[in-house]
Amino acid sequence: MIEKGKISALQMGIMMHPAIIATAILLVPAITAHHANQDMWISPIWASLTGFVTVYIAILLHNYYPQQTVIEYSEQIVGKFFGKIVGFIFLLFYLHTNGIIIREYGEFIVGNFFVRTPLIFVMGSMIFVCALAVRGGVEVIARLSEMIVPVVIIVIVFFIILLIPDMNITNMLPVMEKGIFPSIKGAIIPQSWFSEFFLIAFFLPYVADQENRKKWAIMSVVAVLFTLFLVNITVLFVLGNITARFVYPVMSAVRYVSIADFLEHLEAFVMAIWVAGAFLKISVFYYVFVLGTAQWLRLSDYRLLVFPSGFLLLVFAVWTAPNLMELSLFLGTTVPFYLDSVQTIIPSFLLLIAKWRNKMRDEQK
Amino acid sequence: MRFFYQPRKLTKNRSEPLTATQKERQEERQDALSFDLAQNVQTLQSIYENCSDVVFRPLRVGGTTKATLVYIDGLVNVDELDSIILPSVMKSTASDPLEMQHLFEQTLTVANIQKAKTVAECVEHISSGHPILLIDQQNEAFSFGIAKWEKRSLEEPTGEAVIRGPREGFTESLGTNLSLLRRKIKSPKLKTKSMKLGAYTQTNIIIAYIDGIASDTLLEEVEARLARIDIDGILETSYIEELIEDNPYSPFPQVLSTERPDVVAANLLEGRVAILQDGTPFVLVVPVSFYSLLQSSEDYYQRHLVSTAIRWLRYLFLLISLLLPSLYVAVLTFHQEMVPTTLLLTMSASRELIPFPALVEAIIMEIVFEALREAGVRLPKQAGAAVSIVGALVIGQAAVQAGIVSAPMIIVVALTGIASFTIPRYTAGIALRMLRFPMIFLAGSLGLLGIMLGLLIILTHMATLRSFGVPYLSPMAPMQGREMKDVLIRVPLWKRNKRPRLTGTDNLTRQGPNQKPNPLDGDDKTRKENRHD
Repeated sequence: MIEKGKISALQMGIMMHPAIIATAILLVPAITAHHANQDMWISPIWASLTGFVTVYIAILLHNYYPQQTVIEYSEQIVGKFFGKIVGFIFLLFYLHTNGIIIREYGEFIVGNFFVRTPLIFVMGSMIFVCALAVRGGVEVIARLSEMIVPVVIIVIVFFIILLIPDMNITNMLPVMEKGIFPSIKGAIIPQSWFSEFFLIAFFLPYVADQENRKKWAIMSVVAVLFTLFLVNITVLFVLGNITARFVYPVMSAVRYVSIADFLEHLEAFVMAIWVAGAFLKISVFYYVFVLGTAQWLRLSDYRLLVFPSGFLLLVFAVWTAPNLMELSLFLGTTVPFYLDSVQTIIPSFLLLIAKWRNKMRDEQK
Repeated sequence: MRFFYQPRKLTKNRSEPLTATQKERQEERQDALSFDLAQNVQTLQSIYENCSDVVFRPLRVGGTTKATLVYIDGLVNVDELDSIILPSVMKSTASDPLEMQHLFEQTLTVANIQKAKTVAECVEHISSGHPILLIDQQNEAFSFGIAKWEKRSLEEPTGEAVIRGPREGFTESLGTNLSLLRRKIKSPKLKTKSMKLGAYTQTNIIIAYIDGIASDTLLEEVEARLARIDIDGILETSYIEELIEDNPYSPFPQVLSTERPDVVAANLLEGRVAILQDGTPFVLVVPVSFYSLLQSSEDYYQRHLVSTAIRWLRYLFLLISLLLPSLYVAVLTFHQEMVPTTLLLTMSASRELIPFPALVEAIIMEIVFEALREAGVRLPKQAGAAVSIVGALVIGQAAVQAGIVSAPMIIVVALTGIASFTIPRYTAGIALRMLRFPMIFLAGSLGLLGIMLGLLIILTHMATLRSFGVPYLSPMAPMQGREMKDVLIRVPLWKRNKRPRLTGTDNLTRQGPNQKPNPLDGDDKTRKENRHD
């Protein structure tokens, strides 16, 4: 195997949390609120269904080919030629998606804090830091997640507690005023984030304690669901029905924090903590892309791909959209179908073919 | 100088020429002592040519057999030589070799008598302070273990002072250090493997571990890494540290060095391996994690609640020592809105007359502080007072009044300086102090984002590090639930039932269950006697 490191199932679970959450708390609450209004807190629950389905597909596929990642076993499932095509789709997808993520990160930082800093510099510096982590391999990313995720979660909880004085519980009433459909409609965007759980297909072969993999993968989905639920309900309680009008509702909610007129304007602090989460998300996608490319090209090492891929990522981040509005529109319209079709639909077809192949093989015997 | 300059013999494996040390050792081994006294003496004399401190004393055993005593002046207890060895050797009546052996083994009142068969062994004995007696017609020499040289008495280690805890520290003498360790751990399971490093210094190294607790793989790795050292001299354990650590480019220490026997004993009991070296009071302990560098031995001697609080205080000040100046620069340069208005007004008023931007101001003051600290360490004690007075002026009111730096900056620098000294291990503290300079630059150019990126780079580096196979950030990353409690809190001793899992998994039980004192349970005698009902 190209990757010699081993991680634990717990580490994989922890790693997936920021890999979903980091960008899901940026633009998504506003898009959810736009569709679901005061029912936006229900949407993550529907959305998580995709997460459970994707995890289930990834684990079933992994059971058939326990030593391989999706790039490798797709060649075995649909043949060498078509397998290479499927692999290429995945690689291109992760390259493009990571470009979107980096662009979201850059737009957020430039739009809110460093108005006069060039976007390319903000994105490029982040890609450089991520490249260092990716060079370390899966073990290093896993350990970084274990160091960073607890801090991120503590900060989230801390700010939710600080926002309690500004919360207005009546904002959530009337619950399900227009029935169940607005909340399902609001779930369409976040559910595509949950489809990113298919990333575990790249990490499962390196999990040391295989008996726990299902448990921690599902725990991770639940943790993401719970975090999104908490964030959405906090934003709803604080901002109410104007949530949809903000670009970054979570940041706007944080602005309400004021303790004894001393602790105020902590957005920059929250941004710094969020950057750590975004770092993990970009690193995970970056790593998956680099590892997948090395496997696709049958290289013996992936480390020499890290820095060249970084430049490619930067280019994709620039190409993704001309500006934030286009990016937001893209996320609100195309992305759910885009993410789902690659990360849920294609794998489910792979799973069906793999099942059918195994059945044929058993019958032949 | 014969055996130093012998032509190198062809070895079977030509691709790997023998190194200086290996060559020497191999050739030495072949030189056995001869039966001719004169030849042996001449060999040794040629080896010790131009060594004025080596004494060759010709004598006759029992007045008949010729013999020569060889020793290095100053390494040998001459009193014992005069009063015990020389009289009984010279006055004995033994004449044939068998009788002489009987004399040395049974009637000479010296505990440690050894035989040397080769020239190399003789040289080894002589240089470690054992006088050698070469006897005519014998191809064996006798060495007497009466070495004695000047050494320092036991003192409290100044670098690792404690309020409560043993006050003795290691010294420069390897024998003393081993005895200190042996006095703490009396079980014969404490094993000490000896080896020599350094082609010229021939420094004695001892690998100490507890058999059955330290894992075999760890021990093998330590031995293998020590064995590949081929250097002319080892003068301090830092030489060894630099040659065996996992990442030689890292600013972080990956080996614990300590002067305290109790620290070494505690680490041995947790399954680590200690490396002692002759000539330095500093003992190396491997493997270590970052968190163990943040722990002081006193944590375990104070009450556990107090120690827990102190640990958290240390974590807080660790962050301060790394981040405070850069946070100050970032907030002043980019994020003024984070400062409460009244404080911001005071700060900007004090900065009004300062010619420098915050970044430059911070860099200047931090460098001045580092210079003062360095000068304070190096200067003789008499000049120390002058430095502290001048230092107080430079980092103080005078600098503020002169309008060069602002008063808040002085506070920041002073606090950072204090903070870095709350880290018990000097090497870990200095690593963080050095890292705060790039952090200040990052803060000055990218604000809080720059600080975060810098932190992420440092964290990534630490996540990559390993110390003898153990991840540097363990037990937090990778998480090991049972061991995490000794990082987040200082566990009460009665709850520390397991050893940390370093590289092995066998023998993890540290103590019996139910160690928690529980006088309410059962019949406590003192309680019964003091009942006043």
